[in-house]
Amino acid sequence: MSNAQQFVLSVKGLTKSYGATSVLKGVDFSVARGEVHALLGGNGAGKSTLIRVITGSATKGEGEIIFRDPAGAARTEAEGRRKVAVVHQELALLPHLTVAENIALPHFRKGFAPFSRKGALRHAHEALSMIDRDFASASVHRLVGDLSLHEGQMVEIARALSSGADLLLLDEPTANLTAAETERLFSVLRRLTRNAGLSVVFVSHRMREIREIADVCTIIRDGRTVVDRVPTASLSDAAIVEKMGQLAAFHSAEHAPLARARVSGEGLTVREDGNELEFAPGTIVGIAGAPVGPQALIDALVGAARSKRWTVSRAKWPTRFSSPREAARLGAGFVTGDRSQKGILHSLPILDNVLASRRVVRGSLFAGASERIECLDLLQALKVKADSIWDLPHTLSGGTQQKLLVARWLGVPSDLLVLEEPTRGVDIGTKKEIYQLIRQMASTGTIIVWWSTENVELLEVCDRVIAFDTEGRCSGLIEHGDLSEDRLSELTGLAA
Amino acid sequence: MTHTTTQGTQAAGQTPCAIRHRESIIGTYRTEVAIAVAIALLALAVGSQVPQALSWGNFANVTQAGAPLIIMSLGVLLVVITGGIDLSVGSVFSLTGMVTAQAMAYGYGGVAASMFGLGVGLVFGSINGFLVTIAGLAPFVVTLITFAVAGSLAFIVTNGRSMPIPDPDFWLLNSGSLIPGLPNYILFCLVLLVAIEIFLKKMVAGRWFYAVGSSAAAAYLLGIPVKRTKFFAYVASSLLASFSGLLTISYILNAESTAGSSLMLQAIAAVVIGGASLLGGTGTAVGAVLGALMITVIQNGVNLIGINSFWQGSVTGLAILIAVVIDRFSKSRRGAG
Repeated sequence: MSNAQQFVLSVKGLTKSYGATSVLKGVDFSVARGEVHALLGGNGAGKSTLIRVITGSATKGEGEIIFRDPAGAARTEAEGRRKVAVVHQELALLPHLTVAENIALPHFRKGFAPFSRKGALRHAHEALSMIDRDFASASVHRLVGDLSLHEGQMVEIARALSSGADLLLLDEPTANLTAAETERLFSVLRRLTRNAGLSVVFVSHRMREIREIADVCTIIRDGRTVVDRVPTASLSDAAIVEKMGQLAAFHSAEHAPLARARVSGEGLTVREDGNELEFAPGTIVGIAGAPVGPQALIDALVGAARSKRWTVSRAKWPTRFSSPREAARLGAGFVTGDRSQKGILHSLPILDNVLASRRVVRGSLFAGASERIECLDLLQALKVKADSIWDLPHTLSGGTQQKLLVARWLGVPSDLLVLEEPTRGVDIGTKKEIYQLIRQMASTGTIIVWWSTENVELLEVCDRVIAFDTEGRCSGLIEHGDLSEDRLSELTGLAA
Repeated sequence: MTHTTTQGTQAAGQTPCAIRHRESIIGTYRTEVAIAVAIALLALAVGSQVPQALSWGNFANVTQAGAPLIIMSLGVLLVVITGGIDLSVGSVFSLTGMVTAQAMAYGYGGVAASMFGLGVGLVFGSINGFLVTIAGLAPFVVTLITFAVAGSLAFIVTNGRSMPIPDPDFWLLNSGSLIPGLPNYILFCLVLLVAIEIFLKKMVAGRWFYAVGSSAAAAYLLGIPVKRTKFFAYVASSLLASFSGLLTISYILNAESTAGSSLMLQAIAAVVIGGASLLGGTGTAVGAVLGALMITVIQNGVNLIGINSFWQGSVTGLAILIAVVIDRFSKSRRGAG
């Protein structure tokens, strides 16, 4: 950035409110050509709203947004937005169309023009090849509705990368990717920013990723910019966390010792041919590896799909659950990793979202007043900021919605709780809170099964970790003493 | 569903498109082939009871009787693909007939009166489209309203009386031959079928229909003109319903206020039999046409065999059930054409 900081985007004094709640209270944010710019902030700080306002999917309040072309001349907002591509936190995919169409269709601006399947395929293949050649060849024809969450994420990223935009806004693009894919994505981003002058705004809660990819960062907190364009290298982790307003959480829970009393109770055994895994009561068992293997195990544990591989064995439990309902009523809880599609009930208020699992477990017939008190208590325990329990979930930030999912099982007496990436898209402060809550549940004797693609997290929370390789086979069991990132990446086949 | 890609070497910069991009006809139109076979079997079954069912004369009868339903189904299909529903087509059909006949009674020629008729479709399609897109109301509710209003207007036009068609040449619209040897009703069906199928598959705007039905929110974020696409679907649906109304009065030379009352459900049934999902995002024009043909063949068969015509609805219901169940189990998820 030699020639006096040429900005593609400058946002000044931006405000935005939804009804009475003001989300952005004056944000300054500018992105220079050819840089990767980390946009940081806690849950509900306003990152996603800022992105929405920049792309025009939400209207702005006060302030100005200026887009500039490569020559430095200002563009109109409409023109500028055409050169912006976004990867949303909630994937924007068309399930009935093929991967090729999902990637290529937005490039056809005119309706009454022929749609070239061949062109779309070539375009999509090129785009996907940037991240994963094998995936590209194998999947361009597939329907997006048949893809897994993580494959969908790749499609969405490929679409943004190939859109010909000057500015990419990536809202937690790595949340559903494995380490290896993340690495490939980063090398593509580095190449495009250096050689093609692309600018990237990168939202992530993973400190290590931020350090690896971002040149500069801007931190917003409570709707205001608190750090404006500072080189990432000049800030320590602690400084970043402090600026985000989460210092207390960062220190208090860091490396919390595993000082838990041994809990009595009945354990759980799961089997597949040749393999037997035992889960002792009160332990937190991590699951590591690419999604194929963990998915089958988790499906068996929560009855989400009839798993042909794994059988469960525990007194009073069937060897195979017939449904998540049966599992829940017998004491096996589940927090899905697909928050938007399978987790949040979007048309129901916060109240029903929080109480959903309890009602099933208890077999409640009526939704009574005591439930409201219970919901309020849970929201308080989780420090959820909401105006009313009757608000719809979309009024909350992504991280806060995640808290609602965890809240469903909080304090419900259960023997097993399976969590898929429970801290995905959640800031450090909330992460530590969730760790704490889960540890509490474990201390009451609940077996916790925790699937995460973030190895660091597994190291921090788990007593032992079951690793799966990229083929979906169970490749090893690591006890707490032997846990290390190297060991995990060796067994999972994923780069750490 | 094995879209194999040729594995080829994949050095950077080499042509990556050794991928097959043409799908086989059978693969693409699997549901449609199954329905076509089912229709053939149905016809043979009826033919084994009543031999004249397989005569050329009966074939012409079936197509002529089925043409309005076929055309209406194509319109409903467009709306269903976008994830909507159009309950007003039957009423628009009836009202078109009444307005056209009344216009002729006032002394307008066949062509001018037909323009009035199509105007009914244009107006009601625009109202549907406007209320669904700009006002953001639910398609079911919106078209339930226009269904009721257009249905009542169809009575008001002539105070409930049926109207004979005064223009002596008007029958030519249905039974004339713009192309010698090919009756118009077949010509219209074919032209519309081909045009809509090509539009849906080969035009960008056609893919937008599927995109909007697949996920309107995602389509919006991708910059696809969601409202325009939906609006166009409702206008097209009403216009096609109007046109099928014209075709019918030109065939029976009489306009009745209740002519279209049973057609709306049949058209929706045809679209569903043809493999479309009422949740949107799927369906083909070929499927919708075959679905409409199937319903017509069933009705014709019930008549020929001499079963009490009250059974028609039950037989049609059974056909829908079988078609949907087969579709459900033949593949986990159906793509957008």
